Amino acid sequence: MKKIEISRRKFLQGSVALCVYATSSPATIIPKKTTKTTITEATNIPYLCNMCRNKCAGFARVEDGVVTKLNPNQYFPKSRNMLCPKGNAGIDAIYDKDRLKYPLIRIGKRGDGKYKRVTWDEANEHIKDKLVKIFNEQKDNRSTLAYCNGEGFNKNEYIKFFGGKIGSANFLDEGSICLNTKLGATILTIGDIGEPDIAGSDFVIMAGANRYESLITPDSIDMIKADKQKLVVIEPRCTVTAIKADEWLAINPGTDLALCLAMIYITLKDELYNKEYVKKQFDDFDKLKEHILKNNYTSTWAESKTNIPAKKIEKLTKDFFTASRPLFYLGRRSVWAKNDFQFRRAMVLINALAGSINTKGGIIFGKPLKLPNEEINQPFYSNAQGRFDLDGIVYGSSKAGSWLNFREKLLNGSAPYPVKAMFIRKHNLMQNMPNIKKTKKMLEMMDLIVVLDTMPSDTAMMADVILPECTYLEREDMVVSFNRLEPSLALRNQVLKPLYESKSMQDILKGLGQKLTIPLFELSMKHDEELQESIEEMGKLEAFEDGGYNLSELYKQDISTRNKILISKTFGEKAYTSLKEKGVWYPNMEKYHKEVFNNSYVYYPEDRKFYTVNKKYRVKCHIDKLNKHGYDAMPTWRDSYDFKVPDKSFRLITGRYVMFTQSATANNIMLRDIMKTNHIWINNTVAKNLNIIEGDRVEVKSNIGKVEILAYPTNKIAPSVVFFSHGFGSNSDELEQAFGNGANDNQLIEDKMENIYGCAVMNETDVQIRKIRT
Amino acid sequence: MAKYGMAFDYKLCINCHACEVACKEENGILLGADKHRLWIGESEPVGDFYNLARDKGGFLQHQCQQCENAPCLKACPNDAIYRDENGIIQLYESKCDLSLNCMDACPYDARYVDEKKHITDKCIFCSDTRLSRGETTTACQITCPAKVRIFGDLDDENSEISKILSQREYFTLKPEKGTEPKLFYLV
Ligand code: SF4
Ligand code: SF4
Ligand code: SF4
Repeated sequence: MKKIEISRRKFLQGSVALCVYATSSPATIIPKKTTKTTITEATNIPYLCNMCRNKCAGFARVEDGVVTKLNPNQYFPKSRNMLCPKGNAGIDAIYDKDRLKYPLIRIGKRGDGKYKRVTWDEANEHIKDKLVKIFNEQKDNRSTLAYCNGEGFNKNEYIKFFGGKIGSANFLDEGSICLNTKLGATILTIGDIGEPDIAGSDFVIMAGANRYESLITPDSIDMIKADKQKLVVIEPRCTVTAIKADEWLAINPGTDLALCLAMIYITLKDELYNKEYVKKQFDDFDKLKEHILKNNYTSTWAESKTNIPAKKIEKLTKDFFTASRPLFYLGRRSVWAKNDFQFRRAMVLINALAGSINTKGGIIFGKPLKLPNEEINQPFYSNAQGRFDLDGIVYGSSKAGSWLNFREKLLNGSAPYPVKAMFIRKHNLMQNMPNIKKTKKMLEMMDLIVVLDTMPSDTAMMADVILPECTYLEREDMVVSFNRLEPSLALRNQVLKPLYESKSMQDILKGLGQKLTIPLFELSMKHDEELQESIEEMGKLEAFEDGGYNLSELYKQDISTRNKILISKTFGEKAYTSLKEKGVWYPNMEKYHKEVFNNSYVYYPEDRKFYTVNKKYRVKCHIDKLNKHGYDAMPTWRDSYDFKVPDKSFRLITGRYVMFTQSATANNIMLRDIMKTNHIWINNTVAKNLNIIEGDRVEVKSNIGKVEILAYPTNKIAPSVVFFSHGFGSNSDELEQAFGNGANDNQLIEDKMENIYGCAVMNETDVQIRKIRT
Repeated sequence: MAKYGMAFDYKLCINCHACEVACKEENGILLGADKHRLWIGESEPVGDFYNLARDKGGFLQHQCQQCENAPCLKACPNDAIYRDENGIIQLYESKCDLSLNCMDACPYDARYVDEKKHITDKCIFCSDTRLSRGETTTACQITCPAKVRIFGDLDDENSEISKILSQREYFTLKPEKGTEPKLFYLV
């Protein structure tokens, strides 16, 4: 019989990072009014979650106009009838008392948090005056306005407005502080981003991803559910994912590439790879083989880099290549080391060497449902200049940009023109990228900062104008197509009318567009010679209409009308009804969707899943363009990648907990109830030597800053490494729960960039630790 | 009339806390980390970093065991605790004077003090919320990503819980106490 007896009280004392003891922070938990559900009549409205970027589907229970419970939606293949803790706590995002409620204009100094409440019209008027002045000074160079977005939904529409209609080239999103190296490495190597079929695999290696602890997605669920699957986790610390793995291999931070190179070496040398597949799909296989063998990436060599015993590397490789359907999970989220692009690329190559591409249990291409694009008429601004954040970066993504390069070029004056205005939508710049001091300096260079958000985040406190967006439960959004293996459409229906004076993004942009259309057109008339010519040719009115200068064009119809037309026209009335009533639709859903056992469902029968599709693609071992730019055309180890930590220092690694995957939930009262603050993990033996015990306050210092945080000595981290999680240490005193609670990793993390995609490298900062004597 | 119980496929648990939040939201449980009807016990890895012994099944679900032979019921000096027609241990809230005898008597630490209502509270299988409006799942069960929790009528041989208990081995917590718990841990 099993004996795990951990009582409630023990739980309170000992629980990992979920500690409950009081901190000296000013945050106090205020008792919340109970939201207990009742037996009265209620409506259940299908919606899509937005507490993180996974977008699970749920039904909101509404009693008497109040959301009392969020329940999972069994129809959505992507979220498999579950809601994570964040999803459940969505109620507290709507009813957060600190929410942004009204449009605000700054009256104090930037950053000191003094604002006055204004009407929407006053806010738009203020924006107009400033923007006209800026564009006039910059001679209608529209790119002097930069705009960024951190929310998954409505991003395209946001781009259509500021990029398409207003005409700025400077768009940035979270890609360069998130997963762009992985996306890029996959596209460049096999021509598509693909989707991992974890459920179908019998042997999974997971490196550089933490799917049980940091966020929960279909992949996490499939891993839990897959019996007869072997899971090997490669991680520098013993995470929940590592605890649940069949095997956990502790690795030196930033050396996963060395492990991959050794795996490739072994499989080439011992000819374990799938020869038939390689022959059919690979380009430059011989070059790869020669390169890897010549460099002698043996398991012994890899042991010296990774600290994983050579024998284990040998065994891992053999087990992987002899499994029926092996998958090296490509990871997601965050760029850990300078070599991240090559690491992700090596992972793709390992999958390809095993033949695990476009097949069950591997990386599948699948067949997503295609939604038509709503075309808009985009003006051409001849004075608008191009973006500069991708200068000096080999590939980069114009859909995401490079934050660190953008910021650096503005700060060091090498940007070709000034950026004077910034529109920031749900993107917490003051928390989310390394070296916050620099971000603050960049924002201080702006003449106009407008923030669209639901919460008074640290970034909102830097704004000149704050526009309160409604939460995800208060609006309908355009329908979205999800997934490739089991494709579906899902719709975020409106559960409540926007609270206070908040508005949906579309309504915000509609108002702004109406206010800006004429003044901005007049500016172009003044500065834009091509426009002047067309006016001469066809007259003002026609030049205006023909040129697409009406900024609110897309918002002539409201979202629900647009959805109705678009869905019914493309997929039929039934699809529309299903999306309204069940939140989800895919072909044959009624026939395919079945309960198996205990609230688990199947969504597609086996023979209807898109495991293998007809698609032309090549596996590219050698990428010439990389060579031309002075980078490695094939994954290669460089001495600068070696893991070395100076004496008396520690390597700081960061990560996320499912309650706070992004900093947006930092003020959520229910989630704070579960995890009050963050702690720094220090190896228990090291801590003992430093005389640090659990709950001690320590100072952590890097080259760029210092923080104070509580200590958590543990055997789950290596002596040379320390860890604390992202999502804490907010500076905005408008956030009662989050303010001053815990520490923010980006106050310590140095701004180091990898040059293939211009991504911020998160795990290459060394820190020193000192106990604070009290 | 039913005899409700819950089985846990406990090795699947990833300690994500979704169940805890769902229970609090559904049942209007007070905020505060010591106020909860359910919690997950964690057994931490032992040894030093390079030789850690991990326990894959180290996350265990805890909540009121709905004892057939309930020490809390017997211990209450005010007869405030009773068993309802579905076998769920309930409380007459007006009779509870916070003598806390039930808390001392419970071998599972299942009860906590609800300071707002001045009662001892614990899991009641969502009986005054979900079950009372005809739903057949509990809040913690339905939200669980791993579908660890199987809830149902032990008297109904066709229920999923009866089926799984007839197919798989299981253990109960502290059987030596003779409480006859109705929570079952599947092995
Ligand atoms: S929701 Fe399920 S997986 Fe998550 S902690 Fe609860 S029982 Fe475990
Ligand atoms: S677990 Fe505790 S509270 Fe629940 S019935 Fe048994 S003795 Fe009573
Ligand atoms: S059954 Fe209901 S009351 Fe009991 S722990 Fe689960 S959610 Fe809470």
